[in-house]
Amino acid sequence: MTLKAIFLAAASLAGLTPGAAQATDAAACKGKVPSLNAIAQGMPSVTELDKYLPEFNKKWGTEVKITMLGENERRAKSRLDASTGAGSYQVIYVDEANIAEYVSSKWVYPLADVIPAEYDTADFRDDLRNVATVNGVQYFAPFVGGGDVFLYRKDILDAKGVAVPKTLDELQAAIKKVNDPANKVYGWSARGQRGSGMNVWRWTPFFRGLGGKWMDGDKPAFDSDTAVKATQVYMDMMKSSPPGVGTFNWSDSVEAFRAGQVVFLIESDVFGPWMEDKAKSTVVGKVGYAPPPSPLPSAGWGHGWAVSSVGAKDDCTKAVAGDFVGWATSKEMEQHRLADGVASDIARKSTLKSAAYKAAVPAEYIQALLDTGPRTSLLIMSSPAWPEIGDNLGLTLEELFTGTKKDIKGALGESTFAAEDALQRLK
Amino acid sequence: MSRQRFVFATLAPAIAILAAIALASTAGAVWFSLMNRTLRSPAYKFVGIYNFERLFRDPRFYNALEISALWEMITVVGALAVATALAVLTVETVKSALWRNVISFAFLAPVLLPRVAAAFIWRFLYSPSLGLVNYLIGLTGAGPVEFLADPHLALYAVAAVDIWQWGLFFAVILMKLLETLPREPLEAAMLDHASRWEIHAYITLPMLRGPIVSLALVKAVESLRSFDLIFVMTGGGPGVSTETLDLYAYQVGVNLGGRISYASAMAILLLIVTNVIFAIVWRRVKTWTV
Repeated sequence: MTLKAIFLAAASLAGLTPGAAQATDAAACKGKVPSLNAIAQGMPSVTELDKYLPEFNKKWGTEVKITMLGENERRAKSRLDASTGAGSYQVIYVDEANIAEYVSSKWVYPLADVIPAEYDTADFRDDLRNVATVNGVQYFAPFVGGGDVFLYRKDILDAKGVAVPKTLDELQAAIKKVNDPANKVYGWSARGQRGSGMNVWRWTPFFRGLGGKWMDGDKPAFDSDTAVKATQVYMDMMKSSPPGVGTFNWSDSVEAFRAGQVVFLIESDVFGPWMEDKAKSTVVGKVGYAPPPSPLPSAGWGHGWAVSSVGAKDDCTKAVAGDFVGWATSKEMEQHRLADGVASDIARKSTLKSAAYKAAVPAEYIQALLDTGPRTSLLIMSSPAWPEIGDNLGLTLEELFTGTKKDIKGALGESTFAAEDALQRLK
Repeated sequence: MSRQRFVFATLAPAIAILAAIALASTAGAVWFSLMNRTLRSPAYKFVGIYNFERLFRDPRFYNALEISALWEMITVVGALAVATALAVLTVETVKSALWRNVISFAFLAPVLLPRVAAAFIWRFLYSPSLGLVNYLIGLTGAGPVEFLADPHLALYAVAAVDIWQWGLFFAVILMKLLETLPREPLEAAMLDHASRWEIHAYITLPMLRGPIVSLALVKAVESLRSFDLIFVMTGGGPGVSTETLDLYAYQVGVNLGGRISYASAMAILLLIVTNVIFAIVWRRVKTWTV
């Protein structure tokens, strides 16, 4: 045992360090956990792990198996696994939409109880730590997240003599000016597909930016006049979007922009570097980055790994799962990703300051991130009932976007009414 | 050991296992349907038939019921119509055995494709801005058509993929059945100067009524299990325009607050409705096939 290990073990016994797992001797657990199951969605930071997993497997004598699913399916399956007590997954992928529910149901361990101190959790970006924290306790180790960024096609704006919009009104006018469906160039694109993390996520900055509030006292209030106005604006902008936008998910929107079909887009900031990927983007070097036009706020989000209290019950499983979470989100892993050309998923302050990151993305993008930072916050309703409320609202919005429903006020009213039931059931 | 005992002894274990699996899951669903269990909390209590009562007041449930019935009708009728047309056309126009086998192999390919893979491929093919189907429509000067984003079109667009998979597969079966029919009635009809199409309409296809009804039943059961195809292609949308009962049960039980008891009540109702319908159909099959 090294001097450092002896110190950590002694400190943990004395209660100086909070983690039980930190005191678990790696050698004692090596080979005791034959497999470690993790559930995830296919973000680059997850798929990149494949290359380095043998290193982790060798360290612990285990085999990490990552089940990859789409966002909605991943959320549904991990919730099912935890709530039924099945515990098939020791490491779960948590995000801003379900962290409140997972913590209130006690399905995840506090991060400090499972992640070894050597992984320096203080180095995680403050905005992402905030998303991962409930009542002052951090529950997941983020590896991707941030806020929004406003993307625009510099070449098209130059050609049409349109200035970069600074306000929502200017943006609406500019979209109409550059929209050219005959040549398959559309002014705007957005998410239309239902889901709390899909259309609701992109609609929310409009709702909140125009002054909307989720609750009026203890009653849900997202059928207010402000909500109706926000929906009208969102739908008006969708008229200048590629066909099929009513059911677009984020991938459809981003790919349409990368294919050169879209002039303006507000999306999560991780997609900025995707535009500069020479292998997949047709708009490399043609994209400008800025904060979203005012008064739109930036929707803060964060995805990360947590250790499941349902799936990892014994000390060794907790230790291996905790070490996996630390290893997969470590500074070294972010540098590996940068070296492999993945600059989108950055969760550590040290990486943002690194020369490798500055070389990987345009300076204009970094500046946009810095300028947007102060406007970034968690805009969704912070409630364990949010997944249900958000999904119901998403269905309503999709119905409005695709023309199944016409009465905005009435449709939002139905969603709000259903939200009241969901909140009531919590009590 | 007598033959009867031998048959019983060899069949009993398999039947017991099947019965145990079916009964345990059905009993579990019935139990949950009488509780107010959600996935969020381990606490629950007995609520009697409240979940069933609520279902009968739930407009989204009626919509799902309607979509499920429509889906069954479109996919069963569509698959059989396509299969019959292609089988007759192939038998009439392709005389070489080798080419018929090549065509049969090509017709079998779609059904060999996993449903999820087929769904992703067609989701991309249907894309209004990047898909091949809209590219071809664009060449005619029309479109783009929002196949999966138009609430009036989406169900038919997804059903077309189902028919593409199963209609072509059934075409191979019908083609092989047509080849095995006795020649005498056909030759008699030809002597009476019946046209090729009259021969099929009045002789060959009626002779195949039994197998066609069987295929219809197989397809009807299969169509009830189209969750994966619809889920990947539309997720039940736009809105609820492609939301079948199993999709709604999934949304309620897993996505929307994890109301597992409510979803179980829906599953039990679906079980009852389908069993009743299939029992009626099964009794009528004998009449149709005579």
